[in-house]
Amino acid sequence: MELLVGLALSAVLLAVLYTTMAYGLGLIYGVLRVVNLTHGGVLMAGAYLGWWLYTRLGIDPYLAIPIVVAASFAFGVGLYVVLVRHLPRGAAGGVQSLLLLFGVWLMLRNGAYLLFTGNDQAIRTGYSTQALKLAGSSLSVNRIAVFGVAIVALAGLQLLLTRTYVGRAIRAVAQNPDSCTVVGIDVERIYVITFGLGTALAGTAGLLAATIFAFNPTFGAVELLKSFVIVVLGGLGNVIGTAAGALVLASVEVFAILFMPAYLTAAVGFVLLVVVLILRPGGLFGQRVLG
Amino acid sequence: MLGLAGRLWPAWLSPAGIGVFLAGFALLYALPLVVPLTTYQHNLLSLVFMFVAAALAWNWLGGYVGQVSFGHAAMFGVGGFVAARLVLTVGLPFTLAWLAGGLVAGAFALAWGHPTLRLRGPYFSIATIGVGEATRLVLTYWEGFTGGSSGVSLPIVPGLKYSLYWYGLYLVAVVVAVSYAIRRSRLGLGLLAIKADVEAAADVGVAATFYQDVVLFLSGAVIGVAGGFYASYFSFIEPADMLGFDRSISFVLMAVIGGIGTVMGPVLGAIVFVIIQQLLLASYPQLYLGLYGALLVLVILFEPLGLSGLMLRLRRLARRR
Repeated sequence: MELLVGLALSAVLLAVLYTTMAYGLGLIYGVLRVVNLTHGGVLMAGAYLGWWLYTRLGIDPYLAIPIVVAASFAFGVGLYVVLVRHLPRGAAGGVQSLLLLFGVWLMLRNGAYLLFTGNDQAIRTGYSTQALKLAGSSLSVNRIAVFGVAIVALAGLQLLLTRTYVGRAIRAVAQNPDSCTVVGIDVERIYVITFGLGTALAGTAGLLAATIFAFNPTFGAVELLKSFVIVVLGGLGNVIGTAAGALVLASVEVFAILFMPAYLTAAVGFVLLVVVLILRPGGLFGQRVLG
Repeated sequence: MLGLAGRLWPAWLSPAGIGVFLAGFALLYALPLVVPLTTYQHNLLSLVFMFVAAALAWNWLGGYVGQVSFGHAAMFGVGGFVAARLVLTVGLPFTLAWLAGGLVAGAFALAWGHPTLRLRGPYFSIATIGVGEATRLVLTYWEGFTGGSSGVSLPIVPGLKYSLYWYGLYLVAVVVAVSYAIRRSRLGLGLLAIKADVEAAADVGVAATFYQDVVLFLSGAVIGVAGGFYASYFSFIEPADMLGFDRSISFVLMAVIGGIGTVMGPVLGAIVFVIIQQLLLASYPQLYLGLYGALLVLVILFEPLGLSGLMLRLRRLARRR
């Protein structure tokens, strides 16, 4: 019983991190109809930026969050303005933008190899190994902190999308960009902001993940796939749906340890991805656009 | 009489085309016998042949049908390990083991691809990443078959590596011929229609599912044969190298940078890929992927037909002068 409670708790903690990881991908696809394969690279870059700030400048990873957010937002805006803007969108251009952003990811990965070598790194702080007792199972302080930061980030994003002019404009553009022009929304500007927001979220998620897991330049590939699983499970651009998808994936991964060797638990997510894509292309909870 | 001959002789099969094909084949066949190549150059060419065949086979699905697969390493690995197992435990000759590996790989491609091909464009691509990674994890775990992370070693047969050059050449010849045949046949026209709009194609009587399954099987089978060839070439294979995401990426890069959907493109792309990889592998083992990423970005932005498109442009420029 204690084991089950412990597993359930770690599934919830993991799910919230997964939600931040996947939400940016869903947001960009929901608004721009572009599959952002650079997402994986930005996760990796966020992890390295946090690590670099901590080891070189001694900035605590949690205090580094604003820096990482700003840097990845700027990167996203730059990427959109320089490259993505020129690509055809939608069904016809889907594969083109996929391949282009994939190329950018390869370049990011390569940059990380050149700068930091291929060795595994981790952000190890004074509190990395401390744990709290909760409901009979011990939880790492760091994981709880990651949970808290992720919740704050997601809530902030939700408020932004529902309560501000920019947020409502983003949702409107997701539904119908042509009518948005009619009511005076600068659609191009909304695209830039959305791409920046999605990328900033990915960078933050990368930094948070780096405080828990070890990483190297290939970090982000598996996480990107998991993000796909979550977006596909939860439908697009909906925080609640994304969180539900993340919870499903995290629970499957965590509880699979009871039934199969730990090494194979990662494969469960991929099989889930393919099965759900084929059976429910609209997501488990239906296709709702940024509700 | 003439009418019958006309029907039996496909219109696209011009005598000039056959001439160029046979001359190229003869030239490459005789090359190592006439020119004193170093062992390194000789083996490098064998490897180029293998990758040319693999890139062309990827292109059947990615270019002709327009379904970009990020998971073809799965068939490369399945073909390679089946061939290795057949040589090791059954004692099959290499050539038969390659063919058997190819058949199993083709069947495997059908098994996951038949349901997955209903997805179009980016959705299909994402699903194939999942297929590739799941296959890698399962095969790495299946130690009895693949030897796990430590891999499988094949017996070293004297003279085999040298003769791989000609086996590779035969493979390339068959694959190039099939690439042209598919392109110009009824099947190829059907694929073009499917690429443009799968529902409209089905409406005008193209058996979309069947056509795609045929291409999927052929593509998977050739990639599988290439995997077996690769196993014989290195006499040692391991899951991380055979089935890793980088392997899947390499097929995509060769075909797209060379020129997706064409026949010349994947050939050029594979040649350039292997050469760049060899040049950079010694000093900067990771640089080639980033370089190829940059090339990919440039191709998508400026020359959708890649190197082959660039060649066409140059030829047109030369003609205008």
